[in-house]
Amino acid sequence: MALAINTERRRKIGKQIVPYLLVLPVLFYYIAFWARPVVQQLVQSFTSLEGQFTLNNYIMVFTDLNFLPALRNTSIIVVFSVTLEFFIALLLALLINRKFPGSGIFLFLTMIPMALPAVAVGALWKTGLTTNGWINSLLTYLGILTEGGKIYWLAGSIWKLLALMIIIDAWQVIPSIMIILLAGLQNIPKETEEAGYVFGGNYFTVLRKITLPLLSSTIQTAVILRLIAAIQIWLIVIVIVGFSRMPVLVERIVYYHEEVPRLTISPAMASGYTIIVTIIVSIAALAYLWVSGAFRRKRKEV
Amino acid sequence: MTTLTMEKVTKQFGRNVIAVKDFDLKVKDQEFLVLLGPSGCGKTTAMRMVAGLEEVTSGQIFLGDRNITDLPPRKRNVSMIFQNYAVWPHMTVYENIAYALKLKNMDKQSIDLVVQKTSGMAKIDNLLERYPSQLSGGQQQRVAVARAIAVNPDIFLMDEPLSNLDAKLRVSMRTELKTIHHKAGATTVFVTHDQSEAMSMADRIVIMKDGEVVQIGTPDDVYHRSNSLFVADFIGTPPTNFLKVVIKKDQEGTHLKNAHLNLLLEPGTAKTLDGYSKEKLILGIRPENIILVNEEDASLSTSCLVTEPQGSHQIIAIQLDDKIIKIVAAADLKIKTGEDLHLNFKQETLRFFDPETTLALSD
Amino acid sequence: MASTFKPLIKASRRTMFYLFVVSITVMIITPLFFLISLSFLSTDASYSYPLPLLPSLSENYELTTGERGYLLSLEQRNGEYKTMLDTDDMEKMAVYMKTRLSTPISIPELEELTARVDHEGTVYFKRRSDLLNNYYTFFQITRDAGPAFIRSLQIAGMTILISLSIGGLAGYAFARYTFIGKNLLKFSTLFVRMFPAIAIALPMVIILAKMGFYDQPIGLSLVYSIGSIALTIWITSSIFMGIPESLEEAAQVFGATKFQAFLRVTFPLALPGLAAAAMYAFLGAWNETVSAIILTQFNPTFSVVVYQSLVGATGQVNLAAAGGMVMAIPSVIFTFFIRRYIRQMWGGMTI
Ligand SMILES: Nc1ncnc2c1ncn2[C@@H]1O[C@H](COP(=O)(O)OP(=O)(O)OP(=O)(O)O)[C@@H](O)[C@H]1O
Ligand SMILES: [Mg+2]
Repeated sequence: MALAINTERRRKIGKQIVPYLLVLPVLFYYIAFWARPVVQQLVQSFTSLEGQFTLNNYIMVFTDLNFLPALRNTSIIVVFSVTLEFFIALLLALLINRKFPGSGIFLFLTMIPMALPAVAVGALWKTGLTTNGWINSLLTYLGILTEGGKIYWLAGSIWKLLALMIIIDAWQVIPSIMIILLAGLQNIPKETEEAGYVFGGNYFTVLRKITLPLLSSTIQTAVILRLIAAIQIWLIVIVIVGFSRMPVLVERIVYYHEEVPRLTISPAMASGYTIIVTIIVSIAALAYLWVSGAFRRKRKEV
Repeated sequence: MTTLTMEKVTKQFGRNVIAVKDFDLKVKDQEFLVLLGPSGCGKTTAMRMVAGLEEVTSGQIFLGDRNITDLPPRKRNVSMIFQNYAVWPHMTVYENIAYALKLKNMDKQSIDLVVQKTSGMAKIDNLLERYPSQLSGGQQQRVAVARAIAVNPDIFLMDEPLSNLDAKLRVSMRTELKTIHHKAGATTVFVTHDQSEAMSMADRIVIMKDGEVVQIGTPDDVYHRSNSLFVADFIGTPPTNFLKVVIKKDQEGTHLKNAHLNLLLEPGTAKTLDGYSKEKLILGIRPENIILVNEEDASLSTSCLVTEPQGSHQIIAIQLDDKIIKIVAAADLKIKTGEDLHLNFKQETLRFFDPETTLALSD
Repeated sequence: MASTFKPLIKASRRTMFYLFVVSITVMIITPLFFLISLSFLSTDASYSYPLPLLPSLSENYELTTGERGYLLSLEQRNGEYKTMLDTDDMEKMAVYMKTRLSTPISIPELEELTARVDHEGTVYFKRRSDLLNNYYTFFQITRDAGPAFIRSLQIAGMTILISLSIGGLAGYAFARYTFIGKNLLKFSTLFVRMFPAIAIALPMVIILAKMGFYDQPIGLSLVYSIGSIALTIWITSSIFMGIPESLEEAAQVFGATKFQAFLRVTFPLALPGLAAAAMYAFLGAWNETVSAIILTQFNPTFSVVVYQSLVGATGQVNLAAAGGMVMAIPSVIFTFFIRRYIRQMWGGMTI
């Protein structure tokens, strides 16, 4: 009898253990290849070459001549590209919000820019923005440029370059934000909006009071995910503008790691910039998780 | 085919939820037993414990004299029809039935034979090459039935197999399931929360409430001899009418009284109350057992609130204080709203319930 | 009055709508069109300005005697012939025609032509363009492009294996069980997924070096799997949730073990979703550049090779375009297959 109870209990425990066994590999993986490097990176950033605790690495980054410009440029790109992209995408989504013949193909086409690898986008615009590139050629064909006339896209101030970056980013990203918003719009039951009209609202009051509030979680998702991506912009900057002319945060990391790896300050600089990017992105990520309700739900279930 | 015995079976989920409590049941060989009860009363849980899909917290389950309490599902030799049919969507109808047989290590030829036979029985022999997505709900249900019969189990378990069908198909499938049950001669446990389904199909009905058995009996038993307020209320449409009364004894005999009612019990009926010492009582009367009488024979006089014609009969509703009482009457009886009604009860059908225990005073 | 105008208004509205849709489409497609077109242009054409809209399928040549030997001229868009080369070295001319003008020709063929020039004076001839010439050239002259391509495929393959096996198990657990720490883990996967790749890549240099995986394909797959495991968990858990548990239970009741039931019932039903997860893992690994730059040295991935050809500014835009195209094609094809999931995912991501 005692034996029977024993085996039975063992079987029950065995069954309860199954889900833990299933998630164990993920746990190990995250600890070994995520938590460990992150902690190491953090520790190292506070360690001098002699192995002493130091804040020098950060002081060095903060006093780097390129730090403030990089921070400023990154912020400008993030703020402008995210707002611009969002409003244009929202406008487009509202205008297109219906099924039409060919909408399937249209949606696929709009997905292509987002699917393109960063280097392909780099190739695309690098070949376009040179003085003999396809953009000037196109403008010539359209008669906007006179025969032989050229626009020097990459010459001039940093502001022009920043604007270019924002436009390139918009080209790649607007269609996909539009799709997210379209998906959100299509999840709103038609009756909800119709009720708004029945009770006397016009297009804009219904949009402001009903549609947008219902869309708000979709909007938050789209904006924050976009934000996270925009903070980490680098490849297009290097490919189009080159190193150091228009520094951005991640570009600095690649710069110190690839371009000048042998300077004594390089490892410290690269890791310092990395930590800064990590902190900024983590804050954005936590903000995302906050608005998407990951915290709220947990509390409710506990 | 064989018997099923459940002894003091209890199932507890987590710390607080007791889904099934001290469940005792003996299903006879070839019996069609229906588990009936409101939603959430533990019917599915009880059935899943028999199938082995849920472990029992305590108690024993026997198939014949085989103790199956701790066996995994595959070793129990039961077969089951799920509420959503659980027909495998990536297999054709043929493969659905054949796979169940293959799991029993049957050879190819015999599998083919059995599939032909059972699909004929379930009238899906012309659909064998189709995939479930190409079948109607009713046809999918038949596939589930065919698959369940094919494996020749010791016992059939069916969890609300008809609840996803439309009203008409549901009624015709009842007949077919019964026919198949007779042909296959299979011991069957059938779960439903639809009391008319239970009444029309069952050899015996087990009525459950909050995880416990309330009454076990033939459809006739549970309808006419409901053992508690719960059963009397749960079984029958419209349900039993309940009247709160007090017992008054005088030289005429035993009276049951309230603000509207003054009912003199016949001696035979009054005997039921012997040994009942409380003053208050709940009187239960089925709608078809209330009769219209002349004013002088009436125990209860009131006016008609509304009538609901049903075709074959009509339901007359009257209001007593805040309670609606329903009466089943012949369809050709012409009664207008507001018309005075004089009523009496068929005394031999009266049921008495103790308001404190809610149990019936007689069996 | 108003009713006669109504259909008109409706029609013009519809026209406006389509104009709008078409103009968005044009804006998306134009740059892509030029990238594709450019990747087919001969080097000579890619230096011309304005750039031709489409690559020419064949070229018309004029061959006469020149000062140093034979004079090769190419017909331009305006019909005039422009001198390209004056040489008596047939090998040099053949190489020139192949690399600069994308019209391969063999030396015997050239000798036959020069013989005719000696005989008849000026000779006109036409050669078919080899549109894929830039693609071959890219792989030939770019150091490492071929091995890097293979390596990128290997890395993507291993990433799929790692993330599908590890992530798929967890996805199943998320879909079918409740357990302590489930929410915390769910939360972590979301967070890890959004974590900047670079923050892991840099410290991973030392860790991988210790494991002997630095500059190895497996090292990069290990890094890429961190992000794609999370994605795989989301996708597979929603797939498994969509497969009713009763299907598995039915198999168990009819005699299958739990494992058999999974293998024979749930797994085949989950295959399309698993394929989608695999494609995501592929795309993540294939498209990534920054970790690849940091974690490779002599064995770069294909994206690093293309990146370097862009930054190195050899000036050959047609080759850069070809490299970019090779990068883009798998991504676009896979996106086509998983577009259904992309929309679902975006929808599902708000949770
Ligand atoms: N896995 C589970 N974990 C926790 N509680 C459960 C679980 N399964 C069932 N319960 C609870 O056990 C009780 C009985 O559930 P069960 O499914 O057996 O009811 P039912 O009688 O079949 O109801 P219905 O007619 O709605 O199908 C319910 O209160 C239910 O919430
Ligand atoms: Mg149930």
